[in-house]
Order: sequence, then C-alpha cells, then structure tokens
Amino acid sequence: MHLKLFVLSVASVVLWLAPLVVLDKRLDIHKALQGVSLTAAIACAVTAGNIARELSEQGEIEEIKARAITADVVDEIATSAYIFQQQRQQEAEQILSGQPEREEAVEALKRAWLLDCNEPSEPVTEPLNQPNDNALTVDEERFTNLNLTKNQAIELIQKMRSELNQTQTIEKLWECKKGGSEAWKRAYAQFKSLMEEGG
Amino acid sequence: MRAMYLANYFVAGCIASSFLGWIASLHPMAFRAVLCLLAAMAIAWGLSWLLDFSLSKLLNISVADLQALLIGGLGMLLIGLGVFLCT
Repeated sequence: MHLKLFVLSVASVVLWLAPLVVLDKRLDIHKALQGVSLTAAIACAVTAGNIARELSEQGEIEEIKARAITADVVDEIATSAYIFQQQRQQEAEQILSGQPEREEAVEALKRAWLLDCNEPSEPVTEPLNQPNDNALTVDEERFTNLNLTKNQAIELIQKMRSELNQTQTIEKLWECKKGGSEAWKRAYAQFKSLMEEGG
Repeated sequence: MRAMYLANYFVAGCIASSFLGWIASLHPMAFRAVLCLLAAMAIAWGLSWLLDFSLSKLLNISVADLQALLIGGLGMLLIGLGVFLCT
C-alpha cells in the first residue's frame, strides 16, 4: 500500500511537470498530450491522497486503541492499589480496636508454633488418603485399595469408565484379577453397590 | 501520513490549476471563461475571509482550518498557474 502511494505520488508530479516542460504548446498534438497528461496527473494525485487518508485514519484508530488499552491498565492498577490500601487500613483498624483478640491470636500462634516444633524427626510412612482422626467426622466405609471414600470412589469410577470397561476398572482399582477369588467377589460387590448409588 | 495526504491533495489542486491554464490556452473564448471563473473565485475567496466566522459555523470547522484552506487554495492556484505560464 505504501509502495502504491509512493508510485502514485511520484507519477502525479512527473505527469504534471514533464509534459509542460518537454512538449511545445504551439503544436496541437503536444497540446493534446499535455491535456491527457494533466488529467492523468490529477487522477493519480487524488488516488494517492485517498490512500494516504485511509492509512492516516487507520493509524489514528490504532493510536486510539493503544491509548484505551493503556488507560485500562492504569485504571486496573489504580483500582488494585486502592483495594490493597483499603484492606491494609481495615487490618490496621482491626488490630488497633481489638487488643484482647490480638493477644488471643498471639497465644494461639504460639501454641501452634510449639506444636509444629514437636513434630517427629523422621516422617512416618503413611498410606495415602487415610482417615483424619482429628476431624470431627464419623468413620465412613472405605472403598478400593486406594482407601477412598464413597464419593471419591464413585467419582473416580465414573472418570475411568469413559476409557475402561467394568472388568478393567475393577482390576485397576481393587488390584485383583477377574475370577472366583474372594478378593474379586468383594471388589465386584463393592463396585456394584457404588454403581447403584452413583447412578 | 496525514502530511502525505495533505501534500497529495495540494499537488492535485496545483495540477488542476495548471489544467485550468491549459484550458484557457485552447481558445480565446475558453480564456475568457477561465478569467470569469478566476474572478468569481477571487470574489468568493475575499468574501470567505470577511465572513470566516459565519462560514466556519456553517461548515462545522474551526476558523483556523478555514483560513488554512483559503491560504492553501490560493497557494495551489498561484503555483499551478505559475508552473503552466513559466514552462
């Protein structure tokens, strides 16, 4: 587009000046050529002007877009800074207004720190997904060899069923081979009950 | 790019003035017609200078833009006719 603009601009100037300088005004044929050349020069100049105007408008639009994006970013940064400042202010007000609560919090943190410091030197190897004894929940039945809860097992089975069939799923999760073994029967029974409950 | 398109339109105006001179050179009647046209343009140009505020409101452009257009128009006419007469 820029090349076309450049060529048209140069052509308009050449077509304007060259015939007037080179050709003789007294000869009819030369005069006619001058008229044709001037007409073509006007056409070239107007076309080049239109192209340049389009490019200029596109450039202005791009500039406006860039300015809008910059303004958005600045606005977002200012908003996040304001929110952060408000949060800090609220935290400071809470600390200043609630002195006893603060002391309680400090005590709680100290207790937690002492508990953390009394942890055993060597980590004990524990099975994954073991039931949490500290939580105030009733012991629930566990399924599969991964010791999953009912919901976890159902969710996992539903995910696996999209790629594996029933036998493969049982074999993978309960780690037993299909057959008349006790493990297979138990696994199959658990699988069936989970499927009935999982829909 | 804005300067480029303004320059191209300016060159187009200059060429149009030369074309006007070329038409005037074709026949004495054409010469008179072009003279009448130039006289009318001169009157319109002077009136535009006198009524620049009213015209700028009418055309929805600023007075400075209107004055720039008038000066540019005069420049185009002078350059175009000058090139035609001097070559």
